[in-house]
Amino acid sequence: MIPEHPPKATPAALTQPSPVKSLLISLPMMVLTLVMTTGGRLPSDPLRLLILAATYLFFNVLFFLMVHTGKTDRYRAIAFISYALLFIVSFITHMIEVRGSMSLSQEKILLCEVPFCHLVIPMTLIPAALTKTIIFPGELVKGYASIATMFVIWIGASLALGRGWCSWGCFFGGLDDAFSRIRKSPLIKAIDRRWTYLRWAVLLAVVLTAAAFLTPTYCTWLCPFKSVTEFSEVTDFRGVVQTIIFVSLFVALVIAMPVLTKRRIQCSLFCPFGAMQSLTNRINAFDVRFDTAKCLNCKRCLKSCPTLSVTEESIKAGHPLLSCMKCGKCTDVCPTGAAAFHIRGTPVGEGRSLKRILFLYAAFLFLATFSGGLIQDGLLRIVRLITTGNMI
Amino acid sequence: MQGFVLGLSSGAVCAAYCAPVLVPCLLGEGRGVLANAWALLLFLMGRLLGYLGFALLAWGINQALLKEAGERSLLIGTAYVALSVLLVFYGFFRPRHACQAAGGGGVVGRLREFWPSLLFFVSGVATGLNFCPPFLLAVTAASQEGSLAGSLLFFFTFFLGTSVFLIPAPFLGLLAGRPVLQTVGKMAAGLIGAYYLYIGITLLAGGFLS
Repeated sequence: MIPEHPPKATPAALTQPSPVKSLLISLPMMVLTLVMTTGGRLPSDPLRLLILAATYLFFNVLFFLMVHTGKTDRYRAIAFISYALLFIVSFITHMIEVRGSMSLSQEKILLCEVPFCHLVIPMTLIPAALTKTIIFPGELVKGYASIATMFVIWIGASLALGRGWCSWGCFFGGLDDAFSRIRKSPLIKAIDRRWTYLRWAVLLAVVLTAAAFLTPTYCTWLCPFKSVTEFSEVTDFRGVVQTIIFVSLFVALVIAMPVLTKRRIQCSLFCPFGAMQSLTNRINAFDVRFDTAKCLNCKRCLKSCPTLSVTEESIKAGHPLLSCMKCGKCTDVCPTGAAAFHIRGTPVGEGRSLKRILFLYAAFLFLATFSGGLIQDGLLRIVRLITTGNMI
Repeated sequence: MQGFVLGLSSGAVCAAYCAPVLVPCLLGEGRGVLANAWALLLFLMGRLLGYLGFALLAWGINQALLKEAGERSLLIGTAYVALSVLLVFYGFFRPRHACQAAGGGGVVGRLREFWPSLLFFVSGVATGLNFCPPFLLAVTAASQEGSLAGSLLFFFTFFLGTSVFLIPAPFLGLLAGRPVLQTVGKMAAGLIGAYYLYIGITLLAGGFLS
């Protein structure tokens, strides 16, 4: 059983860089994000140019603040949650634009025009090995959110960030991250540790049933995010059952439980992709470590971890559990800097700031690049709604 | 020989159909390789019984089960519901051994005594009755056999061919001794059971309506 609610953290007794030094450290990020968000050319439409400038400023101000204040999660969350919300705006309006509806018709499924999302990946691997086919009605190379594009992005992100994907790249994760921040203190203060095994059970169940029936069972039956993206047309009993399940899971796992527990319940306890992604934490350079020599055993990291990845045993062992999403919350609340980003193969406790900056460059650049286009599109559609009354 | 070759050629798909039942249960039990091999043997015996039972049934009623979609749905639906009940029970309930002093005998007591061997055997029978694609192929091929003995022999050799692909399953016992995996296996069995229950109910409803 895990006690809840982190006490108020006293500011870390760490040296804060001067504004000039922070600006100099942020300078390469400014150049990189400029290249990545513009693709080397500026839009001719003044409105698009304005939105591009706003997005660029948004990211770089956040990065500067991360560097200058030493707080990671506080500013990551702003970008991550904005990304999730604007993704929904962009995705839904795009679907309405091309299909005329948020729902997915049988015709579009048969034409293989369903956008591919990373949550499907665990279910595709065994059938791909057995039958040399991808069991998803999406476009392989061309089109909106193609299968190949998502696989390439996933492999790159896994190598660079491991499960950091779930806090820096996933376009759904920002939703339960947002809801987990609504209350100041949790109403449900203890979560039985056994529940953390549920995500592995969901992974095992969906992988095995997907291999048996050659259908992505999680997407068909269990994905809460269907409620805010796309879902099958409700034309029969099956469609009714599916829709009830999607909406119920969304309300329970993405809204209610995160609000009540202040934890990212969907990501931590239910997401099969997240479970699989935990394994990639073993193969990438960055992780979080606890310097046991500096640790005061105040357990702030344990109490604040939104993904239940810190236990008393893991603190003693000097690292969080495999499920760590590298959100930076434990490093933010640690009063002594004992919890810190780390590069594998290097001594723990040395060069803390440099290692953090190197991690931030990989993670933040990925977030800015991956989300930049979607954030701009979402903003553009909102501006259109305000100015013309129509988002399409 | 033809049945064996057919089993070998389509056994991977067959294994994929059996895995959602077998893997969570083997993990959930958390036993060693030898104990898992025994569990697999029970499962395979159940599956063989299912196959031969179906061969008998199909031959006896002149393959009416294959021709009538409604009856076929009822049979498969029943098998799925039986599987789901087993899996949900396995996943979410813990059978306790009957207390001898309290006179805990009777049918339930005897069932408890044979748990989880019973689980593997009965789930083998139920998966044997599922119409997975390789099984349909075997049914079509067996229907060309003129006699009951020929049909039974075909299914037996087909069973041997497909069983080859399940040989690695007991090696899940190498992961034994990790309570986490036992919990994960039982939770997964429950989830898969719930999924099978829905499939079974829709098949039964389809069978009754047609």
